[in-house]
Amino acid sequence: MKSVGVEARTGEWAARWADFRYTLYLLRRNPLVLAGGLIALFFIGLSLSANYIVNPQLATPAGYPDFEGNYPFVRSYSWNEGHLINWGPGIRLYDGPEFFYLGTDGWGRDLLTMIILAIPVDIENAVIITVAAAAFGTLLGAFAGYVGGVVDEAVLRITDIFLAFPGLVLALVFAAMFGRSIPTLRLAILLVWWPPYVRLMRGQILSEKEKTYVEALRALGAGHLRILFRHIIPNAIYPILVQATLDFGGVVLTFSALMFLGFSPTPSLPELGNLAADGYQHIFEAPWLIVFPGLVMLLIALAFNLVGDGLRDVLDPRLRR
Amino acid sequence: MIFVLLGVSIIIFYLARGFPTGIDPVAPYIHPRMTSEQIAEVRRVHGFDQPIPLQYFYWLSDALRGDFGSTGVWANSRPAMNVFLTSFPFTVQLSVTAIILTVTIGIPLGIISAVKNNKLPDHISRIIALTGYSTPSYWFGFMLQLVFFYYFALWGLPSLPSSGASGMEGAVPRVTGMPVLDGLFAVNIQYTFDALAHLILPAFSLAFISLGFLARIVRASMLEVLRQDYIILARSKGLKERVVIYRHAMKNALIPAVTMTGMFFALLLGGAMITEFVFNWPGVGRLSLLAVFQGDSNFILVYTLVLAVIVVAANLAVDILYVFLDPRIKY
Amino acid sequence: MTKFSEPKERDVILEVKDLRLEFHTYRGNVKALNGVNLKLYKKEVLGLVGESGCGKSVTALTIIDLLPENAEILGGQILLTGENLLKKSKDEIRTIRAKRVATVFQDPMTFLNPVLTVETQLQETFTLDKEGLKQAVEFQSTKGKNITYLDFLSLEEQSSRKSDDKKVSRGEIKRIVKALCIDVLRLVKLADPERILSQYPFELSGGMRQRAMIAMALARRPAFFIADEITTALDVTVQAQILHLLRELKDKIGSTTLMITHDLAVAAEIADRIAVMYGGHVVEATETREIFRSPLHPYTILLMRAIPNVTRLVESLETIPGTVPDMIDPPPGCPFHPRCPYGMVKCVEKFPGTTHFDGGHEVACYLYGD
Repeated sequence: MKSVGVEARTGEWAARWADFRYTLYLLRRNPLVLAGGLIALFFIGLSLSANYIVNPQLATPAGYPDFEGNYPFVRSYSWNEGHLINWGPGIRLYDGPEFFYLGTDGWGRDLLTMIILAIPVDIENAVIITVAAAAFGTLLGAFAGYVGGVVDEAVLRITDIFLAFPGLVLALVFAAMFGRSIPTLRLAILLVWWPPYVRLMRGQILSEKEKTYVEALRALGAGHLRILFRHIIPNAIYPILVQATLDFGGVVLTFSALMFLGFSPTPSLPELGNLAADGYQHIFEAPWLIVFPGLVMLLIALAFNLVGDGLRDVLDPRLRR
Repeated sequence: MIFVLLGVSIIIFYLARGFPTGIDPVAPYIHPRMTSEQIAEVRRVHGFDQPIPLQYFYWLSDALRGDFGSTGVWANSRPAMNVFLTSFPFTVQLSVTAIILTVTIGIPLGIISAVKNNKLPDHISRIIALTGYSTPSYWFGFMLQLVFFYYFALWGLPSLPSSGASGMEGAVPRVTGMPVLDGLFAVNIQYTFDALAHLILPAFSLAFISLGFLARIVRASMLEVLRQDYIILARSKGLKERVVIYRHAMKNALIPAVTMTGMFFALLLGGAMITEFVFNWPGVGRLSLLAVFQGDSNFILVYTLVLAVIVVAANLAVDILYVFLDPRIKY
Repeated sequence: MTKFSEPKERDVILEVKDLRLEFHTYRGNVKALNGVNLKLYKKEVLGLVGESGCGKSVTALTIIDLLPENAEILGGQILLTGENLLKKSKDEIRTIRAKRVATVFQDPMTFLNPVLTVETQLQETFTLDKEGLKQAVEFQSTKGKNITYLDFLSLEEQSSRKSDDKKVSRGEIKRIVKALCIDVLRLVKLADPERILSQYPFELSGGMRQRAMIAMALARRPAFFIADEITTALDVTVQAQILHLLRELKDKIGSTTLMITHDLAVAAEIADRIAVMYGGHVVEATETREIFRSPLHPYTILLMRAIPNVTRLVESLETIPGTVPDMIDPPPGCPFHPRCPYGMVKCVEKFPGTTHFDGGHEVACYLYGD
């Protein structure tokens, strides 16, 4: 009996591996997905190595504003005007060695460096939030779908409530009330992004539950938890993966939008939305402060959305050969 | 539905008033020169010194009679609902225009993408759609302002205004509260054009983001339809490809897309927050942002509830629409 | 070596010569058709039988050029009254689909558009033939009585007479089309045609839907019909009704049909001639009675033996040993040789040529010739 179990296991994983390679083949054939994937990998690589490429100390230069926002120097945003803090792209420091490819921000920090430092912040947080939202929503949905009955109804109603909140209101109010720290922001955004997973997983569970293999497993005496985790969830996981990849872009955007609106824990935190917020007041005189961080934001979201979109096409069971 | 609304209101209420770690609920109603007795008096008047469940009960009973409390700083205090209703038409005008743009651009984009699947037009339209979907809303608004307002003026081109809904406030009697329509009603061409000029940039900014989403949905649905057997039959009848797509495929494909548009409208109404902020558009989105920052719980509640109602109503409307579109569904 | 004799002199409407086709898939190239030869004579029903995967539906789809994108035609000819279809442009093929070849498909539930009424789907086939409709209007105005579908059919024979450029109003065309729709529905034995026109496919039963599809095919007044497994999705009683209808139509209007089926019984019911396919080749073709009475190809022989005989008592049912070949890597030479009890060395090297017998019996097997 034992050897049969082991053999079956190998067959199952071999099948999954072959499936995976077929998926990769399909993905490779689509140039858009390929491009998106490369860009995404680039950003991930950048976020992992950012601290080695640039000196993170540059984010807090000497004379850094203390928490009340008192700056030891005069902030101003104009081109080449005497003793200035802010320079536009490509202009050499008045009498110094540095060359600012993308200009500087209000504290004289090189924007390019700041963007490089900001990318890991955004990506890390987005990963944490997406994974947490997906995990939470999926488990809740699986639970509700499998158990059914009153529990199911209750979960559905609660999900409905959360879905009825317009836009970012919930996240905003939550963040406003609980202060400006990163964990709070993560929680706030999670509150907004978890409902779709519940619906998705619940639908999958409901249809899987009816399938005959579940009946067979019950007949063999498998416990509920085992059925749920070892069999049903792996079979139903594909749409969740797709949804998570697609959501990733949205989460990054939401995170930076909240930062932009002013929920950053410290004004100097290198983060794409935060950097853009700095320039909001002076958009017409120093447009680079918004243009470049936003552009990078767009590229990150675009890359992950391309991959997610392609993944969705490829994993659609009816489109596979 | 009632349950949903109650749930929404309870959550927001607790968040907005129940947690002293955040902003003190009394904050919007006081100003720095008040004495502590006056502040305590304000607190008492508004009932902020009561236990939360009791506060909720008072609020609920008032709300059911239409009184949502007052909003705004001490001197400017006005009934919250009125403030909301005054600004709401602006948001509606913006959202409706954005929806129109979204639909007229998004649907053809999705159809092209599906019909020429995996060929160049598909790739181009997918990039456009996904770029729209990936753009940060604040950034795009600024880009538009930068180019069309600032640089156009610099380069001597006619530029589009970047803020507000109208440059000629009060020139026309207020009928619907929406500048474009009011201008039409008063047959004031200049006013209408001015209002339209103010409308283009924000509406496009909003639309760009949602049209990507719609195009993806239309594409997926269209691809699904084009694989169906009845398309094979239609082609085997010798019908022109264009007829096959328009008469046979589209109707089937658009049904899911239409259901999405209904939900979209509701979401746009809410999500227009940031765009309104960027363009200084006098709509409820911007007011709600300000309310959140000031801790104005009454206005937040009004905003959230009204929009939640709209979301639920939109879903219902879409369900009803579904009956008409798909002859297989009967009630 | 080849005993040749001319088949009865009848017109050949469709001739397929050495058609080869491949599908390019992730797992490899599926060699679906490897030299298919077919002749379809006028006014007959040719039954194309074979197991799943032998290439019969693919042949039909190739004729009307509705293959999926990964299909590649490697060679051969498809001659419709002499013209090679493979050399035609997309537009010309489309015209052929509209006017010369009408196909009825297998599953009327999925092949009818669920959101369009029967009327819409039926009238669009009529309106493809503007010339014919104009002639019909003229006919109606000269003859004075309402036109029937049969009249409409007969108009084609006189189509050499060019209709004068009299403007015919849209209203008249619409009325004619409506009348023709009703009449053709009556012809396929659908009761209460007016009501059916306004209904949606899901409101009809399976048999009714299939009749509606047949009506859509009739509307095009084609040179011949292709019926792709049209009874497979129906239950047996409805199947019998549809076959009966087809026989009636054959008698009434002299239609030519290429009937594709995997069910020998269906073919026996309705086909004049039967062609047997295996592994992308046609292995035997002859008149129906002949093939049941004296099958020649080993595959056909084994097939006949496998049919349970109601009158004889047997211990166990006969089967053909082995399984259908993998078309990505088919066996060389004759694809049947792994399962053939008469296999010879020659069979592995090359697929045999066709041997023609008296009375039009053709077989492709080294047992009878090269």
